Amino acid sequence: MQGEIRAQGSDTPSLSIVMEDRKTTRANPAKAAAEKLNFWYGSNQALKNINLVIPEHQVTALIGPSGCGKSTFLRCFNRMHDLQADTKYEGAITLRPDNVNLVGPETDPIEVRMRIGMVFQKPNPFPKSVFENVAYGLRLRGINNKTELAERVEKALRGAAIWDEVKDRLNDSALALSGGQMQRVCISRALATEPEILLFDEPTSALDPIATAKIEELITELRQRVTVLIVTHNMQQAARVSDFTAFMYLGELVEVDATSKIFTNPAKKATEDYITGRYG
Amino acid sequence: MEAEHQVPAAPGAASAPRVQPAAATHGGDPLEGHISKTVDQSLSDLRIHAVQMGGLVIDQVGSAVQALTERDVRLAELVLSREPVVNDYETRLDRDSLTFIALQQPVANDLRAARAIARVGLELERVGDESKKIARFAARAGALGQNDPVVAVARYLRHMATLSSAMLRGAVRALDESDPALARDVLAMDREIDQEFATALRQLMSFVMQDHQFLGATIDTVFALKGLERIGDHAKNVAEQVLYMVEGEAPRKKASAGGA
Repeated sequence: MQGEIRAQGSDTPSLSIVMEDRKTTRANPAKAAAEKLNFWYGSNQALKNINLVIPEHQVTALIGPSGCGKSTFLRCFNRMHDLQADTKYEGAITLRPDNVNLVGPETDPIEVRMRIGMVFQKPNPFPKSVFENVAYGLRLRGINNKTELAERVEKALRGAAIWDEVKDRLNDSALALSGGQMQRVCISRALATEPEILLFDEPTSALDPIATAKIEELITELRQRVTVLIVTHNMQQAARVSDFTAFMYLGELVEVDATSKIFTNPAKKATEDYITGRYG
Repeated sequence: MEAEHQVPAAPGAASAPRVQPAAATHGGDPLEGHISKTVDQSLSDLRIHAVQMGGLVIDQVGSAVQALTERDVRLAELVLSREPVVNDYETRLDRDSLTFIALQQPVANDLRAARAIARVGLELERVGDESKKIARFAARAGALGQNDPVVAVARYLRHMATLSSAMLRGAVRALDESDPALARDVLAMDREIDQEFATALRQLMSFVMQDHQFLGATIDTVFALKGLERIGDHAKNVAEQVLYMVEGEAPRKKASAGGA
């Protein structure tokens, strides 16, 4: 089974169509599209023929039970699997507008990671100062001008809604911050290089409710600047932050639709059973 | 915990609560089969209370009309005395569905069920209100006279009471069994009750033209007929909530110009 987000057509407007439109979120043009994507860990096929459009400047959430392939799918976007031996991609993840195949053998994974940032489950700042954490990616790109670095670090920290909390501690170790602050520094680090897509893999599962709320609010704001793809086990979180929700099961994409539709009236029974807690 | 409401046996009402199977198997009733038995239990309780409330209000409708057509003041008083029980059911359904939503954060069909059942409670409470008004009329009207407007349309009153009770019974059964086909049958019945109402009104008009003496009682009788017609509408709304709960889409209402 497959799903696909389609941009709404522009049919002749009528009262009923206008009212229909209010109920669902419109999909923006695609930022990336998985096409017939298959993935193997050795002989174990973890992703089966995934076709999914990721709309630009919107948040797409991936949900599904453990082992369904959602994190595997997310990691394909920045070629994390290349670090592991005996893995194989088939099909394509096309990044727009230049139509680069992110998982194509001809594509340089370093190049991919320059354009696609990632935030992990556990905050993982480098054992460096707050400033150096955020400046790290910029320095890698050859930016060494102090004024420019300072400007871009501040912009990234502001973008991750943590500037006010760390502006007087920029030279302190990032490891001295609270969990929620560390996670936002990691988001700043990912934002500093101005990625086109930001991947979140369970970004709040190690955080308390207040820190979680801050990250969720941040994700909601971030969509103005980047396209967001988030994996979460917390379905209420998917409901709160995302525009579109994709449900995966056993390596397949079962259903994808506007989040408001998925959480009120999903089309597939398997989706309903999962989100209402009926999976044994 | 508060004591359970004493629900009088309602003849023919679908008031027998469903017995929760010890191990609800997935694929059966759409409200069952959760990993969390608390969720199963909460939804089951909500539905049982709505169905019990349905049984009570169906009996209220029948008794109120019987009290009116037979001028049975004691029966009218019984209906009036049970009205607070109906209201308690509604309050309880409203509170319990809100608690369920707050504590369990249901989504999809569970969320629709919680909302639908609360709204069913509201509709049934209004049916209770209509029955109360008919019972009040029955209680204050004197003995039946020769040229009484109630006598003139007694046949219609009884028939409309039968129809509206049948609609309510169907709607409550549809809720109890999560059965969309039953709910659709109820929607189809509304037309008949509307036609009966129109015919009864014509009958009353010719009655009042012949004899102005009973003008006040005639107006009350019109209200009683209108109440029964409204009860049919409430039953229809209950059926629509069941369809929404089971299928995720309520049947389309007429365009705003039409009204309902």
